[in-house]
Amino acid sequence: MSPGESTRLRQGLGFILPWLVGFLFFSLYPLLASLWFSLCDYSVLASPVFIGTKNFTDMATDPVFWQALRNTLAFAFAAIPLGTSLAIGLAILLNQPVRGRGFFRTVFFLPSLVPVISLAILWQWILNGQMGLLNTLLHYPLEWVGHWLGTPCPPPDWLNDPHFALWGLVFTGLWGTGHAMVIYLAGLQEIPAELYEAAELDGTNAWQRFRHVTLPMLSPVIFFNVIMGVIGTLQTFAVPFILTNGGDGPGRSLLFVATYIYQNAFSYWNMGYACSLALFLFLLIALITLWVVRIGEKRVHYAGR
Amino acid sequence: MRLLPIFFCGLGLAACSAPEDPRARGRLVLEYWEKWTGYEGDAIAAVVEDFNNSQERIFVRRLTVSKMDQKLILATSGRNPPDVAGLWNTYLPAYVENNALLPLDRLAAEASIGEEDYIPVFWEMCRHRGHLWALPTTPSVAALHWNKKIFREAGLDPDQPPRTLAELERFNEKITRKNPDGTLDRIGHMPQEPGWWMRDFNRWFGGKVWDGESRLLLDSEPNRRFFAWLETYPRRFGGPAMYRLRGGFGNFASPENPFFTGKVAMVMHGVWLNNFIRNYAPPDFEYGAAAFPADEENPSDPVSVAEADILVIPAGSRHPREAMEFIRYVQSQAAMEKLCLLMKKFTPLREVSPGFLENHPHPYLGVFLELARSPRTAPILNIPSFNEYSNDIETNVNEVLRGALTGEEGRTRLSERQQKALQDKLARWQRVAGIREAAWRRELDEAP
Amino acid sequence: MNSKISRTLVWIALLTVGTLFLLPFGWMVSTSLKPLAETMSVPPRWLPSSPQWHNYPDAMKAMGPFWIYARNTLLLATLNVVGTVLSSALVAYGFSRIDWRGRDRVFFVLLMTMMIPFPVVMVPLYALFRELGWIGTLAPLWVPAFCASAFHVFLLRQFFLTIPRELSEAARIDGCSEWRIFWQIILPLTRPALLTVALFQFMATWNDFLGPLIFLTRQADFTLSLGLQALQSQQGGTAWHHLMAASTLVVLPVLALFFLTQKSFLRGISTTGLK
Repeated sequence: MSPGESTRLRQGLGFILPWLVGFLFFSLYPLLASLWFSLCDYSVLASPVFIGTKNFTDMATDPVFWQALRNTLAFAFAAIPLGTSLAIGLAILLNQPVRGRGFFRTVFFLPSLVPVISLAILWQWILNGQMGLLNTLLHYPLEWVGHWLGTPCPPPDWLNDPHFALWGLVFTGLWGTGHAMVIYLAGLQEIPAELYEAAELDGTNAWQRFRHVTLPMLSPVIFFNVIMGVIGTLQTFAVPFILTNGGDGPGRSLLFVATYIYQNAFSYWNMGYACSLALFLFLLIALITLWVVRIGEKRVHYAGR
Repeated sequence: MRLLPIFFCGLGLAACSAPEDPRARGRLVLEYWEKWTGYEGDAIAAVVEDFNNSQERIFVRRLTVSKMDQKLILATSGRNPPDVAGLWNTYLPAYVENNALLPLDRLAAEASIGEEDYIPVFWEMCRHRGHLWALPTTPSVAALHWNKKIFREAGLDPDQPPRTLAELERFNEKITRKNPDGTLDRIGHMPQEPGWWMRDFNRWFGGKVWDGESRLLLDSEPNRRFFAWLETYPRRFGGPAMYRLRGGFGNFASPENPFFTGKVAMVMHGVWLNNFIRNYAPPDFEYGAAAFPADEENPSDPVSVAEADILVIPAGSRHPREAMEFIRYVQSQAAMEKLCLLMKKFTPLREVSPGFLENHPHPYLGVFLELARSPRTAPILNIPSFNEYSNDIETNVNEVLRGALTGEEGRTRLSERQQKALQDKLARWQRVAGIREAAWRRELDEAP
Repeated sequence: MNSKISRTLVWIALLTVGTLFLLPFGWMVSTSLKPLAETMSVPPRWLPSSPQWHNYPDAMKAMGPFWIYARNTLLLATLNVVGTVLSSALVAYGFSRIDWRGRDRVFFVLLMTMMIPFPVVMVPLYALFRELGWIGTLAPLWVPAFCASAFHVFLLRQFFLTIPRELSEAARIDGCSEWRIFWQIILPLTRPALLTVALFQFMATWNDFLGPLIFLTRQADFTLSLGLQALQSQQGGTAWHHLMAASTLVVLPVLALFFLTQKSFLRGISTTGLK
């Protein structure tokens, strides 16, 4: 290495030192420790005792774990497409030349700022079967549907019904799409107007313009958002935890993998098992992200590349 | 930048700390964590005040802590526990086996506290693996409470509670009112209100959950009957209907408590319910308390489960001797009766001063005392895998009550999973048993 | 399509969805001003018969030492903001303005760490902090902020890359040390980005729930999130009027901060998404 190179190396490392220290202590060490703990029986006050792969075999035969996994995946597969569609839809609406856009943009964005504790407690109240906002709004429409169908359609007892609890959670998440919407809005505004003009001249209608101009031009942003969404949604912890007062929901329908990890670590004092669950979660996130990246490579259109 | 002023305000606020009690100066300060708030918090505050005034060496500073079971063990594992803490007896085995508590045998003997001072069931629950780990403060046993007005309305004698479980179910049918659309207007009894006794309900069927060693007894005939009984509820009243009714229940500690508003006519509750009735129920509320009926033809001794708040000294407590001095003060008959009187409960002590009974505001204290002393009253379940068991049985019982699982399904699922959880915890104990017991013996033999 | 009709349709859509989005806020405030009995009425009333303003101080008292929680949250937020801004800027500078061997490979590692889910490191971190004696103090919640956050390093690096290299080169030729270039030349140029990072971090800390849940044991250290959760999990059912009042109080500062810094905030979000 030339003296210039070695100086620059020293300087570079000097500047990134805070991150290096953090990486070693708060990323690398915990990751390796987790691997070790997952092979141990570790209760909080005793030292970890090596037990081989017992935690992993237990995981494979643990029906509660499989249920948590099902819930987590079901939630992700519902929430991500719905959230993305809603965010893009709202962004398109806001991209139209109408008055009061700024006001509506704020309205849609605000809920994504609400601290998760307030959000969850508010929605616990909104989803209340007897007295909540959602069922109040649904009361008359569902009554009408009931008459029309001939059978009564009572509004679901969201947080007490194992078939509907997860949907209640999806609504909670949809309320917070404002954050993604802002990103899509910025993405929409970057699309050169000429592309739309050219498409109009070609005689296309609005839907075709959406499919062939908007979507491809937005695809990098969608790609990024979906990846962040996957990583975030699969780790969902706070909202279901607070909604169920630290519990699992009706019939364990709101038990997520992250919640189960927390329960095992801090309620059952099975920290070794919790680590093995966490490593599985990591693997799951990595695999699904890779899958999305694989799809993205074929479908995402990068203008100018 | 605009954030700078906020930064300095933050630092300024941080510099202000809570004012220190002047009496603490010059004394050894004991940190005492307790879970009680409201009137219960006031009661212990009075006793702590008395202790602080009664001597000059020790000052007890009480902190109110929520989620005590988690917080205490986290603090103990984090090596900065309080000097003395108030826990629930159900967590005792788990804490003991995780090496979170100091054994109290020697300290208690030095303070002249012994088995003969207590109602047996309350001494029993403080012992585990051959040592003493805690001393009880406020006890409770569970009993049936019923709404006399509703009994009258339904044509039942308001002073005659059901004496067998079959009778209770007959009363239940008479009292429950359904609306034309299938929803429930009110219900006589449902196990999930309040739903705090699921772990021990099988006692009323003559069964136990745990053999005390390594086996769960969920396959026994009493436990099967228990789950079969649960299964009758969704069949008779409708699972979704019961839960919809429950969704509209208000806060336990408020006038909207379903027992006070007449939504549920019979509930099983501890000796504390009287306090909440006095504070929140309508002034013309009439209720009775008696033993909760067991599943048998000819009732003999009443059945109940007992629990207590307990005082423990966490491992790593900096001042165990002083902590024991405080505990001994609380255990003295005078302090104990003051504390329990303020909480309107009975005391765990065998001896009861006549004035205590005479002046006690609880109209049915005699019932609870009788229950506490009954030979068929046992401590509440305190299995090492307590949290897993609690969580699991709650889920399974609710699924059976919802009608989603049959009684058998609920029972077998619970049994399989929990037998394994118990085994894991026992295996963990086996690995460290030798070390622990040696350490405890050393702790107890060491000179102070 | 007739543009007037389409504009009206868009307006109707915006109005409908906008109302749906605002309703929860309205519901929260309306419940917070009702007396307890009215919150339980079936069918529910939309507005309180008379606003019970005293619910707010009552809720604060029910929560416990509300102002101590607020102080703790503010203290943590401040520490986190200062720590994150400073350290992320330093690290981003190192990854963008200096050419050193292996830089891009190490940066890739940094990006990969963003994918590590918190539950994986949760237990070992807890064990680590326990060894250090930090459990039961506020330390675990702000010390890591001084070690830069991968996300913010990424954001700032993008900004730093847009500054022309010639500026740094010229300064180096003049004999400036890297530190001076960083502090006196580059940093002032990226004020808007730094403000964005500060805002994001403030929101994130105010919002944090899992961290305080695990690492804080003493009530005197609780943040507003934890205090509010303690109120919710008190035995029995729930006093909705108090819970809604307390929730509103926790939301208000965040909303206030947003309205003060709207432009920077929204701009910051767009940039993260686009780059």
